[in-house]
Amino acid sequence: MGGVEDENGPATKRMKLSPGVLRGLIDGLSSVEFVPNSLGDLMARPLAIEGDDEVVGSKGVIRKVELVRIITEALYSLGYKKSGAFLEEESGIPLHSAVVNKLIQQVLDGLWDESVATLRKICLLDKNIVKLASFLILEQKFFEFLDEDKVMDALKTLRSEITPLSINIARVHELSLSIVSPTKCAYVGSSNQSGTKEKSRSMLLEELQKLLPPTVMIPERRLEHLLEQTLILQRDACIFHNSEDKGMSLYKDHQCGRDQIPCRTLQVLQAHTDEVWFLQFSHNGKYLASSSSDCSAIIWEVDSHGELCLKHKLLGHQKPVSSVSWSPDDSELLTCGNEENVRRWSVPSGECLHVYEKAGNGFVSCGWFPNGKRMCFGTNDKTICMWDLEGKELDCWKGQRTLKISDLEVTKDGKQILSICREGAILLLDREAKVERFIEEDQTITSFSLSKDNKYVLVNLLTQEIHLWNIQGEIKLVEKYKGHKRTRFVIRSCLGGLDQAFVASGSEDSQVYIWHRGSGELIEALAGHSGAVNCVAWNPTNFHMLASASDDRTIRIWGLNDAKIKQKGPAIHCNGVHYCNGRA
Amino acid sequence: MDADPRHYEHVLLGNDEIHSVVLSYLVHNCFGETVESFTSCTGLKLPANCLEDMEKRKRIFHFAIEGKALKAIEMTEELSRDLLEKNTDLHFELLSLHYVDLVSSRKCTEALEFAQSKLAPFGKVEKYVKKLEDFMALLAYEEPEKSPMFHLLSLEYRQHVADSLNRAILVHVNLSSHSAMERLIQQTAVVRQCLNQEQGKDALSSFSLQDFLKS
Repeated sequence: MGGVEDENGPATKRMKLSPGVLRGLIDGLSSVEFVPNSLGDLMARPLAIEGDDEVVGSKGVIRKVELVRIITEALYSLGYKKSGAFLEEESGIPLHSAVVNKLIQQVLDGLWDESVATLRKICLLDKNIVKLASFLILEQKFFEFLDEDKVMDALKTLRSEITPLSINIARVHELSLSIVSPTKCAYVGSSNQSGTKEKSRSMLLEELQKLLPPTVMIPERRLEHLLEQTLILQRDACIFHNSEDKGMSLYKDHQCGRDQIPCRTLQVLQAHTDEVWFLQFSHNGKYLASSSSDCSAIIWEVDSHGELCLKHKLLGHQKPVSSVSWSPDDSELLTCGNEENVRRWSVPSGECLHVYEKAGNGFVSCGWFPNGKRMCFGTNDKTICMWDLEGKELDCWKGQRTLKISDLEVTKDGKQILSICREGAILLLDREAKVERFIEEDQTITSFSLSKDNKYVLVNLLTQEIHLWNIQGEIKLVEKYKGHKRTRFVIRSCLGGLDQAFVASGSEDSQVYIWHRGSGELIEALAGHSGAVNCVAWNPTNFHMLASASDDRTIRIWGLNDAKIKQKGPAIHCNGVHYCNGRA
Repeated sequence: MDADPRHYEHVLLGNDEIHSVVLSYLVHNCFGETVESFTSCTGLKLPANCLEDMEKRKRIFHFAIEGKALKAIEMTEELSRDLLEKNTDLHFELLSLHYVDLVSSRKCTEALEFAQSKLAPFGKVEKYVKKLEDFMALLAYEEPEKSPMFHLLSLEYRQHVADSLNRAILVHVNLSSHSAMERLIQQTAVVRQCLNQEQGKDALSSFSLQDFLKS
């Protein structure tokens, strides 16, 4: 090859052919042209390089020719033109066959008729693809004429070249319309005021590349795509993946250690005087609300070190408080007494702003609508009703519902209300469309929770199984989680962690269970409580913080194994007890 | 069940009624000479200007059928300046006749220019965009008669447009857009259809006008 000799570099195994050998090669072929910088000057045939079937890699599935070509393409994509060209030369494997190179150049130069002719010479293409590709090229020709106001030329192209292809008839008609109504038509290389011919021609090339089989024209950034695929697969397979900053590297396979999952008790919060039934973090992760059978609810504040201390004790209910609900902006809290009334509290001041009651009935669950101005209550007379902040009932849905145990959730767009409506079913009520969908289980459902993206529902069953359902489109069961214990009480579970990749649940054996959501694998069973764990909550903004509520009257805050606990001064304001080593 | 022909005898028709039905048909279709002889035979009176109007309409109609749309438009505008303004669909169709004429005569450049100047402005209104596309598509084919839009070049289309124009003009001079005869026959067919359905006859034996007329 007449390439540049690198005198100073180490001796490389470069294939040097004398001009005589080259000529011999050419004479032996019925080729049409000789492109000086390309060794494999084999025109309309697929690249038959010596050792075409050569494979690399220990599993023997990677073809060498393909590997080299996508590396070359990657070099060009990254902007290393010289390196790309050099690799083509050194390996003897051209990125594109000469005919494809010609096509590319012709398209970029706007030599339309020539490029259509070249298309036909690429023998790997079936007739249909040739037509589709020709159509794209001729469309570009048509529009460039229109841009230059050469209307008759454009019309001629349409009539004599595009229409006879007999494909895309609807598109042909759109093109005719665009002669008189230019704005109605968008096309591949649509060049607006700021666009240029070069740009629209490059876009055309991209479209052609998508159309042509990959063996003929390698898709752009193929190597990037393959690597991304691998990284994502690795990440999905990583069952402990719980930190944003654990960036993925190409240097080694991604695998997080257990150390990313909260598993150590950092704090035990003792403020309730009876069983703690429910807890939930605020949306911004700065507060935790807990409710107890001691008829109170407590708002805890999370400080900058990740420690919690009591902010307000909310007294007023006469019955055990079965659940709480944070307003969308976290400024207010609803607490629901068990078959009693619902109270609305101000978070900053801790005062009770309103008591909602329905004569003769008790509420069993509560939730907010996304605008923060409406609330939804489940009543023990089998209805779900919508109230405004002043206490006026705005709407009511009757249906089949069980009594006492009933969760209620409203989706973020305010369109759907979910509630347990029968022993083995959850109702998804679309308020506007007035459509009812159901999640049906063979067993009794004890509780459920909605995922953050509102696409999944986690359902706790009487039979000690937790099921994950996908509620987008067709409702289907996605995964099952087992291992925890539930016999007599309502146990709650939740999704949490980075991308809500984990499922956490309480259990009657006093442990907190954590599974990896995607694989269903049980990762942790955290011991510490001395009573059934009724509810768990994962901090939505701090993926390393988990809270659990137990019959032993305490709340435990779990964190990472190597979390440092800063010693504060005398714990005057806090009711939290600190633990330093291991689990208590 | 078919009506017993004896029942027909109970329906009394006066000659005047029948004559006016026939007359309205003749006037609607501009059979000028026939109208003259009919009126002289029957002694019916024609409204003033009726014959002249009929003559004008007849000429406009024929221009339209022959594809001489520009002439038709010119005469229509003489008759009434705002008729076409108010009937934009009709206006578009008339213009399209001329366009189609140019296309069939292979005068592509002229057709294109005409489309650009006269038809394209309609494209600003959403409902005309599809129609405009259909017409413009004719230019994409070197043999428009073989294109999917060939029906736009047909006699049926011209007749349809000519008919619409005729009706619009009639309405404009406060006459009915459909002749009494037409309406009567249409009504009969519809009524018979309903009766058939109500009597539970299956769809196969739906009312056929041809058969009725032959019976």
